[in-house]
Amino acid sequence: MRRFGVLVRSAALEALAEPLSAILFLVALLAVHLLPSFHFHQFGEAGRLPRECGFSALLVFGLVFATSAAVHAVGRELESGTAAMTLSRSVPRPLFFCAKVAGVFAALALFGLAVSCATLLSVASSEMGRLVTNGGVCVWGPGIAAGTGFTLLALAFAAIANWARRARFCVSACLLLAVAQPIALLSIAWLSKVPFEWGVVPAMGVLAVGCAVFVAMAGACAVRLKPAAVAAVLSVAVALSFLKPVRAVLPDIHRFWLVDAFTGGGAASAGDMLSAVAAGVLLIALWLVAGSALLMRREIS
Amino acid sequence: MNEPVIQIEGLHKTFRDFWLRPVAEAVRGIDLTVERGDVFGLLGPNGSGKSTTIKMLLGLLAATAGTIRLFGLSPRSRAARARIGYLPELSYLHPFLTARETICYYAGISSLGRREAKERTEELLSRVGLSGVADRAVGGFSKGMARRVALAAALVSRPELLILDEPTSGLDPIGTREVKDLIGALAKDGVTVLMTSHLLGDTEDVCTKIAILSRGRVAACGRTTDLLTRTQDARFTIEGLSEEEAKALADELSTRYGKPVAFDHPSVPLEKFFAEAVGAAHD
Repeated sequence: MRRFGVLVRSAALEALAEPLSAILFLVALLAVHLLPSFHFHQFGEAGRLPRECGFSALLVFGLVFATSAAVHAVGRELESGTAAMTLSRSVPRPLFFCAKVAGVFAALALFGLAVSCATLLSVASSEMGRLVTNGGVCVWGPGIAAGTGFTLLALAFAAIANWARRARFCVSACLLLAVAQPIALLSIAWLSKVPFEWGVVPAMGVLAVGCAVFVAMAGACAVRLKPAAVAAVLSVAVALSFLKPVRAVLPDIHRFWLVDAFTGGGAASAGDMLSAVAAGVLLIALWLVAGSALLMRREIS
Repeated sequence: MNEPVIQIEGLHKTFRDFWLRPVAEAVRGIDLTVERGDVFGLLGPNGSGKSTTIKMLLGLLAATAGTIRLFGLSPRSRAARARIGYLPELSYLHPFLTARETICYYAGISSLGRREAKERTEELLSRVGLSGVADRAVGGFSKGMARRVALAAALVSRPELLILDEPTSGLDPIGTREVKDLIGALAKDGVTVLMTSHLLGDTEDVCTKIAILSRGRVAACGRTTDLLTRTQDARFTIEGLSEEEAKALADELSTRYGKPVAFDHPSVPLEKFFAEAVGAAHD
């Protein structure tokens, strides 16, 4: 277990140490926080647009972040020789592969947590706003100020930590950005009795499981394919999972996309969430077995 | 208990392309035995099969034919690999980790407990002279510093067999001397060392046995002294002999034995001279 933990930690650190990760965290969070201020239409429901924006940010940015991290954690390590250093010790190859993917899952979970909190705040800011002429909304100031303020403050703290203690900027930025979101949410909850739509959080967790299937798939493909080839395979896989899912190997993304259940004050049913998670876990297990088997047969030169 | 640490018999390796067509025959029937406590040098020009042989020993590549036994076990067995330390030709390190984190990482995957890993890391940082830069990311290290980190990582699990691929590559002469001394000290402690190097002088200094590979085959193998000593010739060193006296002695010996006699003056190895000069400048 200690070996597994050490490998998971290094894979998660590697995922967060990439400059692309910090950029994706920042862009996703700012997009979710700032969206309510760009409300020009209401669609008859104030929180719908920021809620859909939050889910979209998790799906799009989460997929790019996590799959590129998985390709780096597995493919780049095999190419660069660090995997040879690790596998020359008494580390079983399946353990190595599963730990690397688990490390990326941990980084994805952090991203999912941050985006979920940002979405809750953004939906609340939108719902607390007031209608203005032309059907638009003037957003609730404290909500958007807390969201963007804490996000920018997290970046500033990461820069200070880098200057004062030589802490890794990208890792600090990602961690602090993720920590800043629940703090912003709790601050707003404490200052004013805002009714948050808590049901969004497990639904976003289900979507994160859907993304995790692609992470495991990216890792398995990266054992044998170059990064460009993995990107091509994944693009086709994501497109297929939207259009015509091959359920034996690919997730049906519609099962994981539960945002529509919240329309008109509804909520996602526990049964839908559980069945989607079960399907996701099965597919993840399938790709972990496939990746481990491919790595067992791979020659590491 | 007397089984060889490494036993290789009839080892072949053929690399194949995507369609399984043979591309290169890197190793063509190698037989080698490395005994406990040996410092074994694997020499050969580029493409002679040294690195391929090492990767097969580490279980990273599969042999096309032949057998490899490490401590009497398969090279893919975890029990065998738990007893090995490996320093690759290039220091493959995670650039985002610090020197301390890197050694701790290798301690962790070698199943050392937290406390032992921490103590061993500090001990090795001091041993390879990196205590002062232990908290700097290795991505910013010079080649020589990265080499020291990789060497510490290879030693972290107290291996019984140390496989070193070009251990002195990228090191300055003093670093090279330190690594050679370290290899000597490890051998005294009973660690078996298998090393490759293009620097023949370094190999000659530290290796008790050598094998020279050429085009995937063993061209020569044996004790370093046996292979290099010319027992049919003799050399004497007489301290405090002038040029004239040496010439007279050479003529006398030549007349006595009826064979040509040559003499020269001993010189200090450049490595020793360099270390003394740098040491004097520091003082």
